[in-house]
Amino acid sequence: MTRPVKWGLALLLLLAAASAAFLLLRPGTPGTVAVVTLDGEVVREIDLSALKEPVTFTVEGPEGLHNVITAEPGRIRVDSANCPDQICVHQGWISDDLVPIVCLPNRMIIELRGEGAQVDAITG
Amino acid sequence: MPSRDDSPARRLTRCALLTAIALTIFMAEAQLPPPVPIPGVKLGLANIVTVYAMYLLGPGDTLMILFARVFLGAVFSGQMSTLLYSLGGGAACYLSMLVLRRIFTKRQLWLCSPMAAVCHNLGQLAVAAGVMRTWAVLAYLPYLVLAAVCAGTFTGLCAQFLIAQLEKSGKK
Repeated sequence: MTRPVKWGLALLLLLAAASAAFLLLRPGTPGTVAVVTLDGEVVREIDLSALKEPVTFTVEGPEGLHNVITAEPGRIRVDSANCPDQICVHQGWISDDLVPIVCLPNRMIIELRGEGAQVDAITG
Repeated sequence: MPSRDDSPARRLTRCALLTAIALTIFMAEAQLPPPVPIPGVKLGLANIVTVYAMYLLGPGDTLMILFARVFLGAVFSGQMSTLLYSLGGGAACYLSMLVLRRIFTKRQLWLCSPMAAVCHNLGQLAVAAGVMRTWAVLAYLPYLVLAAVCAGTFTGLCAQFLIAQLEKSGKK
C-alpha cells in the first residue's frame, strides 16, 4: 500500500467509526415540544406532553406540496404527503430529539425539543 | 489520459453518449424505493460514469457530463425541487475529485470514490441547511457519512472494474 492509500483509508475508517459511534452512543432526550418549520419559519408549536388526544393538521408549502401531520401524546409523524419521495412519511413516528423529520421537497422540518423549550402556543 | 483522436465531433459524441448512459442509470435507480427513510441517502450508481469520465476524459468533459445529467435527471424525474440539493452535492463532489484524482490512481478508485461521496453528501447537507434555514438537518450528518462510505465504495469498485475491463479489451 502506498502512503496516500494508507492515510486515505485511515481517514475514511476514522470518519465512519466516529459516525457509527456517535449514532450508537448518544442518548436521546424525549422531546416534549414539537416545532414544525416550513421554509425557515415556525408555523406550529405543539406541547406533546400536554396533549390529551391526537391532533391532525396539514401544512401547505409554497409550491403546492402539503404534509398531513398527526401529533399524539409524546410522539409525532407525517401521515401522508404529496411529495414525490415520501421519505418523511416512511420515517414514521419520532419521540425524541435525535433526528428531525425532514421533507426536502416541501422544505418542512418537524423537530422535537426537550425540557426548557419555549412554547408560543398550545393547541390540542 | 488523452484519447487518440480528439476531434471536436468525437469528443461531443463521447460526452453525449456518457451523459445518456449516466441518465439511464440515474432514471433506473430512481424507480427503486429509497433504501432507508433518510433524506439524501441513495446508491448514486450514475456516478460510476462521473468517476470514469474524471479519470479517462479529464475535468472539463466531466463537468459537462455531470451538469447535464444532474439537470436532465431533475427534469425527467419531475423532481425539480431536488435540483438544488443535487447541484450542491455534485459541485462538492466535483471539486473534491479535482484534488483526489491527482493523489489516487485509477487502481485506487475504491478509496477515491467514497471520499468524493462523503464530500458529495456534505455539500448536499450544506445546501439543505441553507435552503431550510436551519442547522437541524445536521442531525443527519453521521447517517450521511456512513451511507456515503458504503455507496461510494460500491460505485468506486464498479468504476474500477469497468475501467480495468475496458483497458483489457483495448477500448478507452
